[in-house]
Amino acid sequence: MPIIQAKNIHRRFGEGALAAHVLKGIDVEVEQGEFIAIMGKSGAGKSTLMYQLSVLDEPSDGSVEIDGTNVVELSERERTTFRLNTLGYVFQNYALVPDLSAEENVMIPLLMRGYAWEKARKVAQGSIDGVGLEGKYKNLPAELSGGEQQRVSIARAIAGKPKILFADEPTANLDTVSGTQVIDLIAKVNREDNQTVVMVTHEREYAVGCDRIIYMEDGLVTKIEVLKKKKRRL
Amino acid sequence: MTALRIGFLLGLRQIQRANFWTTALIIFVMMLTFLNLIAVSGILVGLIEGSERAVQRNSLGDLVLSELAEEDRILETTSVINTLNTFPEITNYAVRYKGNGQIEANYKERRDLAGERDIVAGIVTGINTVREDEMTNLSSLLIEGEYLNPDEEGYILIGAYFIKRYAEQFGDVFEALDDVYVGDSVRLTSGNVTKEFIVKGIVQSKVDEINLNTYIPEREFRRFFGRIDRNANQIVMRLDESVTSDEMKVLLTKTGVSDYAKIQTFQESLPKFLIDIKNTFNLLGTLIGSIGLVVASITIFIIIFINALSRRKQIGILKGIGIDRNVIQIAYVLQAAFYAIAGSALGALLTYGFLVGYFDRNPINFPFSDGILVAEPIGTLYRFITLFVITLFAGFVPAWIIVKQNTLNSILGRK
Repeated sequence: MPIIQAKNIHRRFGEGALAAHVLKGIDVEVEQGEFIAIMGKSGAGKSTLMYQLSVLDEPSDGSVEIDGTNVVELSERERTTFRLNTLGYVFQNYALVPDLSAEENVMIPLLMRGYAWEKARKVAQGSIDGVGLEGKYKNLPAELSGGEQQRVSIARAIAGKPKILFADEPTANLDTVSGTQVIDLIAKVNREDNQTVVMVTHEREYAVGCDRIIYMEDGLVTKIEVLKKKKRRL
Repeated sequence: MTALRIGFLLGLRQIQRANFWTTALIIFVMMLTFLNLIAVSGILVGLIEGSERAVQRNSLGDLVLSELAEEDRILETTSVINTLNTFPEITNYAVRYKGNGQIEANYKERRDLAGERDIVAGIVTGINTVREDEMTNLSSLLIEGEYLNPDEEGYILIGAYFIKRYAEQFGDVFEALDDVYVGDSVRLTSGNVTKEFIVKGIVQSKVDEINLNTYIPEREFRRFFGRIDRNANQIVMRLDESVTSDEMKVLLTKTGVSDYAKIQTFQESLPKFLIDIKNTFNLLGTLIGSIGLVVASITIFIIIFINALSRRKQIGILKGIGIDRNVIQIAYVLQAAFYAIAGSALGALLTYGFLVGYFDRNPINFPFSDGILVAEPIGTLYRFITLFVITLFAGFVPAWIIVKQNTLNSILGRK
């Protein structure tokens, strides 16, 4: 059974003549361990699709089932808990809490999941080590470069071993070297931990390591490119 | 518990990383609010309290014996005094004899015998000059002249409000003698008895009972008023710290003093209207202070609202990664709590470490009272709790407004 199964997703914003129909009936299935990239021009609807799949937004029509749970039927509070326990996020602007150290940023979701303080600290430090930032536990985000901040963001997203990792243009604000490092990290997580990854990007060079690339245009899936035949396809 | 712990971490870090001067300014505002709550009512109540203290210090002491309801003087006064002497807890006492009389001045210069006399009616108090001074420090209240000497007769102390130049600040409230100075003669009349006295001194106090009194030595009083039974009208006493007024009252009652005199603690002897005024002032002060409370709560609301609004995206991301909204709200409420506690603590430190002592040493000079700052710890605690709860609420509401917004809209900065 696919870990993500979305059927006939529509997303409309506004009403009447000003209404915008951003997603126009999209079906997506993602298998456990797959690395999927969603690509398209600006305004194609790729981020909107990711928000539906990652339970950050609710589709106007259609259903989204993740790991056997119909997330559309969840209450706001249940959705928050679901995101905490099941999903990991990497946002394009790093999205770290500026007042917390790198270690504390990674610890927060772990503590929320009920980890004891010391265990959370240990796991957080391990995760930070894993993204190559050994010894920068106590650094504030402002004391890190953009690439380092994004790596802390990845450490936070994967520390709790979520079932699915969502990355929304994780390289958008990075230079080429840092961007490549970040993509390599995400690919490594996918490869070594069999972590399901759904990533939005508009740069094909960063999507070449994926299993499949979903191309979107004007709210519709226009093409699916299979790069590796290791998983069931869309 | 988990939410509280994480909220605490987030709130603590926000406080730690905040701009020092901004935090200092907020705490300063909270301190002023706290002081406003304490000081306004404290000064108003202090007006009455200062007056009460003056009465206790210069007139009534800690415990008062007076005539029983059906009597016109304390029965068996000598026996009662002997009983008082057996209690080492009574450090001082003064026996007073009281009578009504008329004091006339300028009678020697009056040419027109049909004209209006310069005369006032007032209370005459017979005192043991030494004991009275030890008990109430009456001599310190002299504004003109000298205190009564125990060995001499024919001298009188007059309260300032019987003298026109001191009483005229109150308009026509008090009847007063025109031109009386130390060394002048006045004529005291009670019934058919008249005697001439030389004004030895003029006393003035924040206690009206003293300003509207005249004092002569007790021996002369008894002779003048024909009080041969030695029964007094009032005995006031001061107690040491080993016993409270209530406890002493019980002890005296047990020895039978209550059969001869009414025993009242100082507080009981106060007129009810004074207590009512005190309560009213307290309420009034709290109401005025509440305006400051409203200002402080609005300040906190704005601070937290701006803080939360400027971190709207961050709040959205926290919610996005699964942090419960309660955690975020707790973080902001904690900040508000910190401001309230820090401001109140500084305010309390200033109040008890400086202001109360300062006003005790330098009371505000009101016509009827030496105003002090009254800050009862229990009242201060109530006011702190009020400030604290309102501040928490003022911190919670803006956080709640921001946190409840759609998660994705917050992340993307959409309205």
